[in-house]
Amino acid sequence: MAKKMNPVAEGFYALGKDITDIGVTFADGDWKTRVSYLIFGFGPLMRGQIVKGLGFLLCEAAFIAYLLFFGGNYLSKFNTLGTVETAKKGRVTVYGDNSFLILLFGLLTIILIALIILVWRMNIRENRKEELLLRRGMTLPSNRKVLASLLDTNFDKTLLALPVLGIFVFTVLPILFMICVAFTNYDKNHQSPTNLFTWVGLENFSKLFAFGKTGFGSTFLTVLGWTLIWAFFATFLNYFLGMGVAILINKKGIKFKKLWRTILVLTIAVPQFVSLLYVYKMFANDGLVNGYLIKWGWITSPIPFWTNPMLARITIIVVNVWIGIPYMMLIATGLLMNIPEELYESARIDGATPFQMFRSITLPYMLFVTGPFLLTQFTGNLNNFNVIYLLTKGQPQSMRLTDNAGQTDLLVTWLYKMTVTDTNYKMAAVIGIMVFLVTAVVSLVVYNMLPSVKDEGGFQ
Amino acid sequence: MKKLSTMLLAGALAVSVMGFAARADEIKVWVADNVTDFTNEQIEAFKEANPDFAGYDYVVEPVGEGDAAGNMITDVEAGADIFGFAQDQISRLVSAGALIDVEPENAEAVIAENDPGAVAAATVGDVLYAYPLTSDNGYFLYYDKSVVSDPSTLEGILADCEAAGKNFYMEINSGWYQTAFFFATGAQLTYETDDDGNFTACNAGYATDAGLVALKKMVELKASPAFQNGSAVGEATNVAAIVDGTWDASAAQDLFGENYACAKLPTFEGADGKTYQMSGFGGFKLLGVKPQEDEDKLAACDALAAWLSGEEAQIARFEAVEWGPSNLAAQASDEVQANEALAALAEQLQYTIPQGQYPGDYWSLATSLGDSIISKELSVDSSDEDLMAALEKFQATCESYAE
Amino acid sequence: MKKDSGSMKRNRLIGNTITYIVLILMSIIWLFPFFGLIMQSFRSYNPAVEYGGMVDYIIPKHFSLDNYRFLFSGETNYLRWYANTLIIAVCVSVLQTIIILCVSYALSRMRFKGRTFLMRFWLVLGMFPGFLTLICLYFLLKQFGLTQAGAVPGLILVSVASSGMGYYVCKGYFDTLPIALDEAARIDGASRSKIFLILTMPLSKPIIIYTALVAFMAPWCDFVMASYIAFGNDKSYNVAVALQRWVWTNDYQGYFTRFCAGGILVAVPVTILFMFLQKYYVEGVTGGAVKG
Repeated sequence: MAKKMNPVAEGFYALGKDITDIGVTFADGDWKTRVSYLIFGFGPLMRGQIVKGLGFLLCEAAFIAYLLFFGGNYLSKFNTLGTVETAKKGRVTVYGDNSFLILLFGLLTIILIALIILVWRMNIRENRKEELLLRRGMTLPSNRKVLASLLDTNFDKTLLALPVLGIFVFTVLPILFMICVAFTNYDKNHQSPTNLFTWVGLENFSKLFAFGKTGFGSTFLTVLGWTLIWAFFATFLNYFLGMGVAILINKKGIKFKKLWRTILVLTIAVPQFVSLLYVYKMFANDGLVNGYLIKWGWITSPIPFWTNPMLARITIIVVNVWIGIPYMMLIATGLLMNIPEELYESARIDGATPFQMFRSITLPYMLFVTGPFLLTQFTGNLNNFNVIYLLTKGQPQSMRLTDNAGQTDLLVTWLYKMTVTDTNYKMAAVIGIMVFLVTAVVSLVVYNMLPSVKDEGGFQ
Repeated sequence: MKKLSTMLLAGALAVSVMGFAARADEIKVWVADNVTDFTNEQIEAFKEANPDFAGYDYVVEPVGEGDAAGNMITDVEAGADIFGFAQDQISRLVSAGALIDVEPENAEAVIAENDPGAVAAATVGDVLYAYPLTSDNGYFLYYDKSVVSDPSTLEGILADCEAAGKNFYMEINSGWYQTAFFFATGAQLTYETDDDGNFTACNAGYATDAGLVALKKMVELKASPAFQNGSAVGEATNVAAIVDGTWDASAAQDLFGENYACAKLPTFEGADGKTYQMSGFGGFKLLGVKPQEDEDKLAACDALAAWLSGEEAQIARFEAVEWGPSNLAAQASDEVQANEALAALAEQLQYTIPQGQYPGDYWSLATSLGDSIISKELSVDSSDEDLMAALEKFQATCESYAE
Repeated sequence: MKKDSGSMKRNRLIGNTITYIVLILMSIIWLFPFFGLIMQSFRSYNPAVEYGGMVDYIIPKHFSLDNYRFLFSGETNYLRWYANTLIIAVCVSVLQTIIILCVSYALSRMRFKGRTFLMRFWLVLGMFPGFLTLICLYFLLKQFGLTQAGAVPGLILVSVASSGMGYYVCKGYFDTLPIALDEAARIDGASRSKIFLILTMPLSKPIIIYTALVAFMAPWCDFVMASYIAFGNDKSYNVAVALQRWVWTNDYQGYFTRFCAGGILVAVPVTILFMFLQKYYVEGVTGGAVKG
């Protein structure tokens, strides 16, 4: 085998090897093994491997039962997503096909079919393994030992079984489902159970990139632009200000360090739905801040903190600093302690000013150590729902933007509004896929630029 | 193997929690929080009067009119069997299959006993889809007598507010309040629908001289330092006058105390020198019944909805929470006649049009227009061309909803 | 030299003074909203006394406990909402911690086929926005009867089910524990599970507390998922869902001070808990930041 193959070739090679292996097992195997091709686990059962054999057999039985009594019906309608319309018998309603459930369970059935093929393959491999062991005159492990291995050499399977199952049902399946929705016309006019929806190909994607009067194009770009700007400021402003505050508090001769930290940390501790909703009201046109400024005669008309688009964006970023600084401060405090004091000592002897020391010692160290963290912060901020939604809900809207989008909407808050307010699921799904693409691209590009990735040697 | 046992576990979990699923003999009713007690009392009376239907388990949940429609559309199956909603949602609800047409016998009674505007609001195409509950979903002016000396002109009200350093509230970024200006100058916007709630035609006249006069007045209003965008007494501060509806009557009384006063909306002087009376929508609260798969349950729902929207229930509801009735006989009762807020509303209603069907997107589009004014994207400094361009875009988008 | 050190001292004094001023100003800004929140919660909503809506002053004209009395009076389901949130928070905290520990241990200490694939796959999954799948999760839970009346267990299930993907910080911690200990124990014949339970767990107190604390705090703020799953069933709301209506919905005019009081009652215990466990939180986030 060549040492370096591209992944595709590698995949085909493995597949080819697998198929040969399946053939060899059959040709070479005894009748127990051959029966196992149809009845899972037959071989192991006959060879006394009750636990494994029963496991395979139950998998097969459960799958067949699922297909017969539940999944098969949905799968057969998967290509149309249902044809029977809801009808009325007198005044009583008789519901027809439910496109939503057909799509969901059809998808589930397809995945389960793939899984059962995998189990079938495992079943064949197990047969082969047992036969070879027996032929060499060795004994098979006892059932007790097989079970015990789940707590020892196979402990990973025990540990991961539940988490993997949970992620499959509540993350993987829904995401696949929503990706499918992006290719249907599932929206407020095609809602289950009363109305059917069906496949429409790439229509929704072409709508996203349509720049006409009612197209999504320009709105999408505006929202995307603000999402990126927001994520940039929310990440780096908090990062540097948080570091600054940490340095201030850690300064020699400053007392009550713990008190300052505790005060700042309050914004992490208090649930955001309380604190942010209150802050929103505080800065409203008729809120406390404007009220007092007018009372004191500093301004005559209220400052439009939330209603002027530019000002609203700035206010959001500033309020986010209020939330974000303490978090970064905690992290920076811990990390700053790790910088060897001698570095500063020698710099001081060389007559470096505090700012020079910050620039040539503290900052490089911090950037190096927290590179990946900054990346996750950035992608996290791309999807920072709470701050935006609890403050402005994406408002103000504008005649320049379509489909409920507001000037402070991030892609996620827009997506949320589409799902909940407009029940425009198809476009929400399209936007969701776009968010994924943006996140993935940003992550890939930035990850490869990180100093800690480029230079594995580390900070000296 | 592990997979299998976890599958079994999931199955066991599923079986053990099936107990939470909704039961067939339960009738769920969604109404606004402040009428839940009232509705429960009415249901008790209903059960006594209709022993046939007493076997059902009636559950009243506080789900506001705003949320009800959204929730019903998200999942009709889990939604309420009977629910209150504001009429602007009716076409959405019909096209999502969340409303069944009113039972023919009840329909006759509803049409005969309620005011024509309310009946029109409950009708989509030619089919009556809901039971009118109130005819008070319109707006007028609440004001502070000690600040506003003459509530008859908008300019006068603003001058008084500015002089006193107090606020004038009107929610101009709402499609509902905005029409006070547009309909006043004669700009129109109406839609036609078929029986299934699909929009078939749009009659829009916003991108006209009349529309321009209205929009100019709105940007001028925004330029006043006294202006605040809003229409909820509970959220307003430092108020001297507010354009709001009867549902806030008691809150407004608490707020203004002995200076409490109401009036029809004022007139305003347009950029063309003419005087216009502010108009707007006359709106209605409705009660809807969800399509049912069981005939007996449907009969119970029909009967209860008719009961909750009948003359007696409407009068009782007015006494309990001051909701203005849509039932003609109830409207004529002495108590309703004596109510100050309802009197102001009645006077205003002469100048409004009964709100027909509007697509859901219209409301968000109108918010965009209003927000553009509030953010001064459109302002007193904008040229007529800019303003007209905004109106043209607005109208084109409105028309695109009816295709 | 002497003069120099004198000026240095003076410089330091000036520097420190400026620092103190900055810190004090910051503290005021940081505390002000909370101060306002507390003050509002003491303003009565009873029209005979004062007004429960928005006002443009901070200090109430009369201090009163009306709002708190209202919350405990049973006029609303406030106590029920509170209990729901507490139940969710406790269950999620315990179950999520167990799951994260299991996943982290397996990924940190064991080498098996598909390990890197699993980690990459989860990383990619994490790039999909969370609310994309809202409608799908709703109908999935509905299949199990875990919406509306069953929303509380439903919410627990949803939060716990996918928590395995949040293993980064915990795995990072396990990676720092010396592997030699494990190897020694294995030579002595201890099984993997025994090592996990008897050797690793006791060493992991800080990370266990951190994971549990973070998991405990999240449900108090969960508004999106909770409102989507529990809609139309007042008794299964959590505090965030129920209270935001008092600010955002027109049906609740003049509930603002009651919202503040309700919010304070939520914030106080959570804040106190956080302050007690702050040390572990700091360790967790710092560790997490370095590992990425």
